[in-house]
Amino acid sequence: MTSISFRGIRKSFGLTVALEALDLELQPGELVSLLGPSGCGKTTALRIAAGFEIPDTGIVSLGDNDITRTPAHRRNMGMVFQSYSLFPNLTVAQNVEFGLRNRKIEKAKRNSRVGEMLELVQLGELSKRYPHQISGGQQQRVALARALAVQPDVLLLDEPLSALDAKVRATLRDEIRRIQTELKTTTLFVTHDQDEALAISDRIGVMSNGRLEQLGTPEDVYLRPASPFVARFVGSINELPNVNGSGQILVRPEDVTISVDENELTMRGTVTRVTFQGPVTIISVRVDVVDQLVNVHAASGSIHTEVGDRVSLAVAPGRGIVEAA
Amino acid sequence: MKNLLGRSGPKIVILVTSIFFLLPLLTMTRFAFQNVGVFDLSWSKAFDKWTFSIVTKPFEDQYFTDSLYLSFKIAIGTAALTLGLLIPTAIWVHLRVPKARVLIEFMTVLPYVIPAIALVAGIVVIKPHARWFLNSDLSLIPFYTVLALPFTYRAIDSGLRAIELRTLVDASRNLGAGWMRTMSKVIVPNLRSAIISATFLTVAVALGEFTIANVLLKQTFPPFINEYRMREPRAGYALAVLSLLFTIFIFGLLSVALRSPSAKSHQNSPKSRELS
Repeated sequence: MTSISFRGIRKSFGLTVALEALDLELQPGELVSLLGPSGCGKTTALRIAAGFEIPDTGIVSLGDNDITRTPAHRRNMGMVFQSYSLFPNLTVAQNVEFGLRNRKIEKAKRNSRVGEMLELVQLGELSKRYPHQISGGQQQRVALARALAVQPDVLLLDEPLSALDAKVRATLRDEIRRIQTELKTTTLFVTHDQDEALAISDRIGVMSNGRLEQLGTPEDVYLRPASPFVARFVGSINELPNVNGSGQILVRPEDVTISVDENELTMRGTVTRVTFQGPVTIISVRVDVVDQLVNVHAASGSIHTEVGDRVSLAVAPGRGIVEAA
Repeated sequence: MKNLLGRSGPKIVILVTSIFFLLPLLTMTRFAFQNVGVFDLSWSKAFDKWTFSIVTKPFEDQYFTDSLYLSFKIAIGTAALTLGLLIPTAIWVHLRVPKARVLIEFMTVLPYVIPAIALVAGIVVIKPHARWFLNSDLSLIPFYTVLALPFTYRAIDSGLRAIELRTLVDASRNLGAGWMRTMSKVIVPNLRSAIISATFLTVAVALGEFTIANVLLKQTFPPFINEYRMREPRAGYALAVLSLLFTIFIFGLLSVALRSPSAKSHQNSPKSRELS
């Protein structure tokens, strides 16, 4: 278990600044996700950690060691890539063995480690297959086993689930978390999928335009977004006019209180759609004054309303953040 | 009617082209292997007096083995130089300067556009200054490497495009492999088809090139055939037919070699069930 830290990292490609003043420290055994839209710099940060890119300024440290300029093959990192990265000319077992051979580990130890890793990802019976003979989900499991076989100081995951279908993605996501918790490997996980990040992270760093907008627990990021960008990017959001000042209030659908009594709460409107989604019902209301659509998540069965009903709304006390005009 | 033309069209094209290519070859074969006077080579005597004993005649010539050996030596040298230069260059261009790919492609096609005789003119100019180099038989190697570039670069380039080069290199380096190990264990095995194609194309160019060898007075196999044909017309053409068959054999080997074992197993194995 080792910590990894980025201090004052800046990286540009030509005129494009990919990362600006990135400060981030991963505690030993922690799983931190970098979440953000395409081009926000999250993959650049990961590639800098792996040693594939050298930052223009700043320091990357592994524990107390400065590894900013250490070549990729001399860092003890395990990485799982977005696209299938298994070596097509090697079998599943040989792929997992590759890193161990590079470390000149003796054959008997290599074999037992390969067996152990394939059991860990539940693919022991496929060890003699070639990558093209197994499914996409299985390939990513093998890639995970290969990355973990070398007992890396840090595990780097570059959107490893994005090429998979929804069902396999959810299963593998939980499995990554199970294995990571079991082995206590410090992990940096890059994703643009907020559900993935919220589900498996100890902390999430939300990135935008090369900057870290917020670093916090999944609850922090979702319930107490530090900026309008974070509020909009993580979860769904309503934008309401600020009745007590300028600008607008950004509020989550579950933080809007709804009443079938038109006069009970501060804003009035008409129901335009009711969508039953099992535990919650999404009620869309067009607010009178601003002619704006607001989505409300109500516990199913807690309120009975139909399209065309008049209702009143209010932001739950202490919720929502104000965005200046 | 239109349908009939659509169905038989390709067959007609294949038939006409086959006649166009095969007829001169058949004529050459008859001239070489039928012990009949040239004026008697009519259709009625198509099956008369065939003899293959003439095939052994060129082998008895004192220059035959020497020229063939030299040609093979040069072909192997050319293939080694081509692969040694091209593979690292193409990988470097793909990984580090992908924008330069257009320029490199343009440069590699130049030997195809500029005839070999222009290269020869250049050689003649530098000859007085580079006698020490041009006197060696192996001096043909760099010239043949250039001549083969249009074919070999394309073979390697398309091989690199077919694999996820950057990801494979990153994965290999991430797992602790230096550049040499990444090249030998990851890139080269996955470029197997491209490398085999490039090698055979290079060998074909090196074994068949006449102009430069002739100008530089190198006694490689093509100038030998040319010279021998004048001395021994029938045996010379028999040798030409043999060398043609050899080239066809090489390309046959190429197509067998390109059917990799993993490709075969890919076809035979059912894709396993997605774990969920």
